[in-house]
Amino acid sequence: MAVIVEATGLTKRFGSGDASVVAVNSVNVRIDESELVMIMGDSGCGKTTLISLLGCILTPDDGELHIDGESIDGTVQDMSVIRREKIGFVFQLFHLLPYLTALENVMVAMDIARKNTQDAESRAQELLTQVGLSERFHHRPAQLSGGEKQRVSFARALANRPKIIFADEPTANLDSRQSDNLMNLIQEMRQEHQTTIAIVTHHEGLKSNAERIIHMKDGRIVMR
Amino acid sequence: MRYRRARVVLTGLGITVLISLILLLGGIMNGMRIQARQYVESTGADVWVSYEGSGGAFIGFSLLAEEHMVFLNSEQGIVANSASPLIFAQARPTVRGKSTKAIVVGYKLGKLGGPKHAIEGRMFTGSEFKDYRPEDSIPFEVVVDEKMGLEIGEQITLGNEKVRVVGKTRSLMFVLDTPLLFMDVRVAQKVVFDNYPHVNMMIARSMENQKPAQIVASLNSIETIDVHTMKQTLGNITEYYVDEPMKAVQFLRVMLWLAAGLLVGMITYVTMLEKTQEIGVLKAIGGSNGYVMALLLKQVVIISVVGVMLGLGLAYFFAAAAPIFVAIHPVESIIVVCISFIVCCGSGYLAARKAVTVDPMIAFRGEI
Repeated sequence: MAVIVEATGLTKRFGSGDASVVAVNSVNVRIDESELVMIMGDSGCGKTTLISLLGCILTPDDGELHIDGESIDGTVQDMSVIRREKIGFVFQLFHLLPYLTALENVMVAMDIARKNTQDAESRAQELLTQVGLSERFHHRPAQLSGGEKQRVSFARALANRPKIIFADEPTANLDSRQSDNLMNLIQEMRQEHQTTIAIVTHHEGLKSNAERIIHMKDGRIVMR
Repeated sequence: MRYRRARVVLTGLGITVLISLILLLGGIMNGMRIQARQYVESTGADVWVSYEGSGGAFIGFSLLAEEHMVFLNSEQGIVANSASPLIFAQARPTVRGKSTKAIVVGYKLGKLGGPKHAIEGRMFTGSEFKDYRPEDSIPFEVVVDEKMGLEIGEQITLGNEKVRVVGKTRSLMFVLDTPLLFMDVRVAQKVVFDNYPHVNMMIARSMENQKPAQIVASLNSIETIDVHTMKQTLGNITEYYVDEPMKAVQFLRVMLWLAAGLLVGMITYVTMLEKTQEIGVLKAIGGSNGYVMALLLKQVVIISVVGVMLGLGLAYFFAAAAPIFVAIHPVESIIVVCISFIVCCGSGYLAARKAVTVDPMIAFRGEI
């Protein structure tokens, strides 16, 4: 099975001198193709920093990172290219653009990738239909429930056929029924699109959905 | 990225007003230049004589006596008998009971210095004398521009004298639509010089095969007079009546450009601050700095194009409706439009550059 993400000795510090904090400390991670991995740990343990490093939003201070076999070096590469071509993001607070419809919010990701508008529209329709929102194409985020917003967010993450999707606490703002529905959808989508998914969560109830769980504490990966 | 419509409209209107003001101020100055030149050019004279040290015709205080005519008429290269005395003096006539601003132009009928024909009515009665020596028997008559709105036969008061309108001219006004009152040099001496037997300047025309500059150089060797060519006179009059008084206006135009640039820059910066979270999310999902910049610059371009083009239209509208002569030069319009566009877009670009520094990590925090 192909390796999608491989990080070795990944380290990230914030601040300098005595005020310096090591948010991620010499972490080694490997995520295989089509795997569903959960990164769990208490608040402040470095989960979000880790997916920001793996998702090419932050540049590590030390360590090596490979995405889909490509060595990533934020000091010389344009990380936005890696993010739009290989990575999808789902955020805890959905972060849909409030003035755009569900359809347009999904199309934004493809607009960024300079996709043809007509192709983008049909792909967005297809994805929204797959996530069960065929009746909600032209609804704005304010007219959608939390679960529906997260589905739109998930469809947006899938839009550019990423190698991996990083989801940061995707169920944190959903009730238990919406959380279960979303996790079921994520499983379906993963099988349908053969997408690799890494979910950051502190929600113990989601554990059963993961193929593998990475536990973090004080910036390090720990065994349980 | 969605923009606040009201803000875009208001900023666009702000730019519109500023650009139209820039163009109108330019148009007023251009109009003044045209009006300053048109009288001088209409005389057909290319040798202008004024009193020594006066700085040139139209500039300083210049009074010449009759004998200066002799120098001119005896100068080789001057068209025979083309030399003519000229009075060009600011006055405060009373027209229909109201004191107004005007310029008295006194010249000899049929000579250089004023119109030869009236477009309505007739020319004033000319002096019978060969020179401009005081003579009391001439009727006090004046020819005015049709824009003054006076009727033939109406009287205006100049000093203590009543002068009757006998004819009209067209397109012969001076700077800022100041009316020119054309009359016999003798009448002008009476109404503005209290019968003092002098004139402000002498003018003449050079022969076709002669260079006015050479004639001017030759005449300048005579003490007590300053002699200028038509080109020098035009330069003097434009500088004295337009460029120098309008220096503050030129400065104001630059300030207006700065204000327009600041307005666009400020609005772009505020938009950028408001949209920080949104920009962070767009960057997190793969938006490049160029993509984000383009979204902000789209707003800048919309505001600038709409503001500048409306400003252009508004300026032409007000120029047509203005109570004074405003001549917006098409080439200057293009230059103003281009500079305004560059200033507005440049300023917006400087503000939008800040967007590039937004950290995409912001997407993991807070709501849009």
